[in-house]
Parts: sequence; C-alpha cells; structure tokens
Amino acid sequence: MTPEQRQAFEEGLYQFVGRSLHPEPKRSYDTVNGAMIRQWAEVMGDRNPAYTDADWAASSARGHLIAPPAMLYVWNQEGYAVASTGRPGDGLADLVAYFDSHGFTGSLGTNVDQEYFAEAKLGDAIYEDAVIEEISEQKSTARGLGYFLQTLAKFRNQDGELIGTQRFRVFKFIPPEVPAQEKPESATELELPTRIQAPRGQDNAWWWDACDEGRVLIQRCKSCQTLRHPPRPMCGECQSTEWDSIESSLDGEIYSFVEMHYPKFPGYQYPLIVAVISLAEGTRLVANVVGIDSAEVRIGLKVKGRVEQVDEKTMLPQFYPVDAAEVSA
Amino acid sequence: MSYNTLRFSEVTVGDKLPAEDIAITSSLISCGALATRDFEPCHHVPKVAQEMGLPDVFMNILTSQALMARFVTDWSGPEAVMKALKVKLGAPNVPGMLMTVTGEVADKDDSQQVITVKVLGENNIWGMHMEGSVSIQLP
Amino acid sequence: MSICDKSAIVGIANTEFSKNSGRSELQLAAEAVRDALKDAGLSPADVDGMTTFTLDNTDEIELARAVGIGDLTFYSRVPHGGGAATGLVHQAVMAVASGMAECVVCYRALNGRSGHRYSSGVSGPLLTADAIHWGWYTPYGLMTPASWVAMYSQRYMHLTTDCQDAMFEIAQAQRDYAVRNPAAFFYEQPFSREDYDQAKKIVSPLKLLDCCQESDGGSAVIITTAERARDLRHTPVAIKGVGQAAAANMESMTSFYRPEIAAIPSMDIAAREAYQQSGLSAADIDAAVIYDAFTPIVLWQLESWGFCEPYTAPQFVLDGAFRPDGRLPTNTHGGQLSEAYIHGVNGVVEAAKLVRGDSVNQPAKTVDHVLVTSGVGVPTGGALLGKL
Repeated sequence: MTPEQRQAFEEGLYQFVGRSLHPEPKRSYDTVNGAMIRQWAEVMGDRNPAYTDADWAASSARGHLIAPPAMLYVWNQEGYAVASTGRPGDGLADLVAYFDSHGFTGSLGTNVDQEYFAEAKLGDAIYEDAVIEEISEQKSTARGLGYFLQTLAKFRNQDGELIGTQRFRVFKFIPPEVPAQEKPESATELELPTRIQAPRGQDNAWWWDACDEGRVLIQRCKSCQTLRHPPRPMCGECQSTEWDSIESSLDGEIYSFVEMHYPKFPGYQYPLIVAVISLAEGTRLVANVVGIDSAEVRIGLKVKGRVEQVDEKTMLPQFYPVDAAEVSA
Repeated sequence: MSYNTLRFSEVTVGDKLPAEDIAITSSLISCGALATRDFEPCHHVPKVAQEMGLPDVFMNILTSQALMARFVTDWSGPEAVMKALKVKLGAPNVPGMLMTVTGEVADKDDSQQVITVKVLGENNIWGMHMEGSVSIQLP
Repeated sequence: MSICDKSAIVGIANTEFSKNSGRSELQLAAEAVRDALKDAGLSPADVDGMTTFTLDNTDEIELARAVGIGDLTFYSRVPHGGGAATGLVHQAVMAVASGMAECVVCYRALNGRSGHRYSSGVSGPLLTADAIHWGWYTPYGLMTPASWVAMYSQRYMHLTTDCQDAMFEIAQAQRDYAVRNPAAFFYEQPFSREDYDQAKKIVSPLKLLDCCQESDGGSAVIITTAERARDLRHTPVAIKGVGQAAAANMESMTSFYRPEIAAIPSMDIAAREAYQQSGLSAADIDAAVIYDAFTPIVLWQLESWGFCEPYTAPQFVLDGAFRPDGRLPTNTHGGQLSEAYIHGVNGVVEAAKLVRGDSVNQPAKTVDHVLVTSGVGVPTGGALLGKL
C-alpha cells in the first residue's frame, strides 16, 4: 500500500466504528433450554448441578436451574447456515468484507471478555445488541500487518434486564505467503516437542554420542594431558591436535546457576534450573540441576550427576543434590 | 465434582487450583463447536483448517471459554456466581495435544465477596493456548 | 601514535523510539544518518566512510544510495552484538586518524521489537562453530541473553553485598532520568521499589525491570577529523581514547570457564587501552553512559573502568553516584533500560550530548570527560569523549 492508499483505506475503515451489527436487537432463535444446556455440559465435561440437576437446583440458594454463564453468546449464534448457505450478512460482515477486499484476509480472535450481571434462566429469550466499538491503528505483529477490531455485544432478557456483555477482539491482517510444502499435511505430523538438539559436527559429535550412551567425557590433550571442556580441536596450552578423553565421575559442586522463567520454551520442563558445575576433574560443565526445590539451590552445593533421558530424543547429564542422589541410588 | 461450595472466607490470594490435563481430541473440538452453535467449517472439516495452515481442525473460542469456566467452578462449587470471564487466546488446540490448565487466586474483593482466579491453559506442542481470569462471587 | 584528539564526533541523531516503527530498518537508518549529517552541518556528499554492526540488516551501500552518499573509501562492520556499540567509534577513529577516510558515518537501526526479537532465543540450522557453541547450552534451556547474564549475576551477587539493592538503584536512577526525557519510551512513567520487586521473573536472579527493552529505532553518529570538526556547527566532541578487546578464554556470552566469572576481563583491557591513549584516569571522568542491557552488567563495568575496587560497585552505586548530583551521573537519557535499546548507539549519541552540554538531563557540574561503553559478555569496548 502506498501512503495515499493507506490513508484512503483508513478513512473508509474508521467509518465503521460505532456501527451496529444488527438494525435492532437480535433475538435468540430459541429460548434458554435444558436440551442445549445438557449438550453443552456433556461435551465440556461440566457436571455443575446448577445447570443440569433440577432437584439440586430447587434446593439451592437460587431455587432454580441456570444457564452456564459461558453460554452467553451461544444463544444468538447463527447456526448451520454458516457451514451451508453462508454466514448471513450483518454490520460485521460488511467490515470483514472491506478488510478482505484490501488484502487483510487473515483473521485471528485474540480476546474475549465477558461480564455477567444476571444469571439466565430456562425460558429466557436473549436479545443481542452489538456495535463495532473500536478499530486500532495499524499494528505489526508476529502474524503480520493489520488492525485490531473490537465489538461490544450486550445481552438482555425479555424483560430488558442486562444479562451480560461481551467484548470480542479480532486481529485482521495480511497473511504472509506460506509456501505450499511447508503446510503440515496432517495431525500425524505433530510430534511432542523435545529439547533443542545440540548440532553435531566434527569437533563435538563424539561428546554427544557418548552422552547418548550415558557417559560424560572430558577431552584430554594427549601431549600435555590438560583437560578441556567444551571440546576444541586444538590444545590451547601446547597446540597439539592429538587428544583422547576420560570419563567424568560427575561429582561436582554448583559454581553458579539460574532459574529460567520467561519466556518458556516448548519441550522444556519447569521449574528449570541451569547451573555451571565445577566437576571433580577440574573442568566445568553446564547442565541442569533437578530433584531439588528451586529455593534450595545455592552456590557451593555438592551435586552428583547422571546421564538421563529427558525426552524422546534427548540424553543429558542431570545433577542431583548429593543427599537425594544417595537416597534414590 | 463436589456439591459443596467454597466460602469466601476460606479462599486466600495465592491459593492454587488443582491442575488438570485435558486431552484435545477431534471429538472434543467438533462437538464443542456444535454444542456452542459454532458451525464454522474450520472446526469440523480438517481440509478447511489445513487450508488455513493448520494440521487439523482446531478448537473454537467458545469451547476454550467453557473449559476455563468449568475449571474454576469445578473447584469453587455450584453456588459460586460467575461475574466475569476474560480470555486471551494464544496457539490453537489441535487433536493429539494435551492441554494442562493451571490456576491461582489472584485477587479478593471483600466488598463484593468476589474472587478472581488467573487461569492458564498450555498445550504440550505450542505452549499457551489460553490465559485469562475468571471472577466468581462466593457465599 | 595515540589517536587522542585526532577525530571528533560532529553530528548525532536518533529516530524516535517505539515498539512498532511502522517502517523498514533501511528507512530508520536513512533517517538517522540524514539527521546526524544535518546536525553536523554536513551534506551526504561529504561522507566517505561507513561502519555498523555485523548484526545490522541494512547494507551500507543500500543506505548510501538511500541517503545520497557518494563514493566510499572505507566501510566495515563490527561483530558481537552490543559489543560493537563503541566499536563503531573505534573503526571510525582508525579510519579518520590514518587518513583512510575523512568523514565516517556510524549507524545502527533495528526493528528490535516489531521485527526479530533477541529475547526469542537462539537456535539455527547451520553447523558452524557458533552453532556448536550454543549447542553446549540450549539443550539445558540456557538460550536467551537474560539467561547468560543471569549466570554471571548469580555469581557476582554471591561475592558482593547489597547487590540486589544496587540493581534496583540502577534501574530506578535511570528510570528517573527517562521520566524527564520526552524521547524516552518510559517518559513520565516512574516505578517504585514495590513495582521492581513484584515484577515478573525473567531468569532468576533477573526480573523484568532488570532487563532492557526491545525497541524499534535508529541512531547515527558522524566522525571526522579534528581540523574539519573545528569549522562545523557544534562543539566538537573529541575522541580521547577508544579501546576494544576480547580477553582470553572468551565465549560469546557464555565465558563460564574462566577462573572467576563475576568480572569482565575484556572490559578491563579496553579500559586500560582507552585510558592509555587519552592520558586520563577514572578521576577525570565526569559522567558516563554505561551499556545496560541488564542492571548487573553496569556494576562490573564500573569496576573495569576503575571507579571502584572489584566487588564494591554496589556500594558505589548505592551512594547515589548515578544521580544528577552524584559522583558519576550515568545513563542520563534513561539508558537502554528506560530510553530505548538501539544496541548502545543511542548511548554514544547521549555521551556526545553530555560533552556538548546538551543532554536533556545535563548535570549541573562541568562535564569535561564522558565514558561510553559497549555491551559485555561478548568482546567489548569503550570510548572516552571530551572537548577538543
């Protein structure tokens, strides 16, 4: 979009603010009824007797059944037409069409805030009165460039009593081009996330291969016997490229540590403690500390490591406080 | 669920709700959409969802709302009166995932006897699916 | 030969800072360079050298075309993220002092919030030495700048007293400056100790207000010869000394294998170099812009630059040193914690303003010499600025 096109688009866009979705309050197709409530409660696994147990409800403080408050918007939903003949037009559909015609075809619900002022009872008719409350300035998000739009719906019963309100926020954006082959084919491709795997190259694959077999090795210069970690192809002391390795006892103590809180990464288990461990052999190793309450971790704590499978793909040294290791050994 | 209802005086800010794992299945997604009268094809036709770049049908918002509300009323008991339900949506829930829901009492309003519970639903593939708060009035 | 007083900063500029610039990084860079040239009273045709970060996405020749800069005889890039901040000055000074160029533009522009965010972590498909290096840490969960810095911080807290209070004082002193800086993202938004303590945990021991922002914006600095600088509009800001160093046993952000990790030997070396070139010492420095991606890293740099003995920086800060009437008013723009995170180059701009007497929070005392530093944990550096 050129600056002029954007200006023209936005002039048209902000005209929508304040528009009603329906010419007059839209009545629910059915009154609040036990059949729809039961269906909802069954699927959601909600056994709240206030919704479905008439005997209990009669003896409760309310004295009668109520509709689940989270069903507030359900009563006025359009229904099967959406999947067959198409969503009936309303004020929002006009706005969506305006967005779509300018390339903002992506649509993502971001927030739904409901407030409840009265509990709906069986037999109530629900009247929805909704407006386009707000359209944001242009925003660039991880999804793409677009605008947040917010509708405000008020729900009243047949007596005009306000049951609740709903603010629904949607991001309309220009979707990035996704190459066809990158689209996942089916859910069977979904795998449980694992920890990020260390890339394995000539200089380090041997270390990780040993780790996969349950051993932590420390590289040793064949010429001057100096231990080094992380592995490097040359000895910094004598410049020899000849090396072998020893297996670590995994006895050590915590030299420093952190606890990861934010952001959380898929495939990692929290609480997540990462420490620099001073190994008995004299080198240091970064690894997780587990089997201990976060608040108990401290510099100087004696720890004992063992290589464990932490997820489907990953073997890693994990360090336990010495006492706990003795208990579980 | 328990038919007992928590008393306002029994609840303390910082109280944690029992965590719950919810298996996300095709049935839960499709039937949840229909039970909330949401007939958008992306919630019951995998091909339509795939055209949107997702591997399979995905959970509709009203089901997420329902699960969040239930998570709190299962804990509070049936005499709790719901005052607000605020949901921020994150990554989609798709069949095959497991969503773990956790919650913590974040606020107590003595004048109204209303408590607000912060709720987080994270799926095991993409992380945060929903986060928000549920406010309930307790006897 | 010493580079002292051979060159000077004659033009400076920042774009506005935001969370969503709404324009390309090339445009941000072009605006910053254009405005810095205007500030200097120079035209694009006067420029013959350009330098930026290896991390910068804007190609120097693309930028030159955009701004209308002509023939270039010097161009270079400095690696290691924020460690390059005063590295740009280092490059420009070498080029100008050696005659390789006469007028060098230093620039950095990024959509650090609306585009790629550094907090999103590291991982990559390429099998380079760098990828292998990160592979020693990512499987355990150590993969954000906050996580690496927190590891050093824990150790430093262990060896000092009152460190947490000093981290708060740094964050709040800088916020108080930003509150009075209309260009700062946190203009007119103070915070309390309670806000600080209650803030979200990021990577313990770091909480949200210990961490810098992620910002969109651009900054540029023009450096030319001392002779030419004297004829231009503003008080020239001479480069008295500038050091850059990667100390032995260095890893990028994860130098966890040195005898003691609660220190930054690279900055010790850079400080020694810069002091030697300039003939100055810590006692001569009146104000500072100290790289502040996270609060604790400011403490270690104070020790490197000799403002206090090792492991006593918390006490130095808690004595009010950073405040307007303190020993060393620091990060008077609000720093990267509270003005904006332009990888330290907005800090070079602020340091030049302090020498000119133009800071929005200019200290009442005479400011003859100002220290400005680069990001640490990586190879780093610092520059000493003063009047010509």
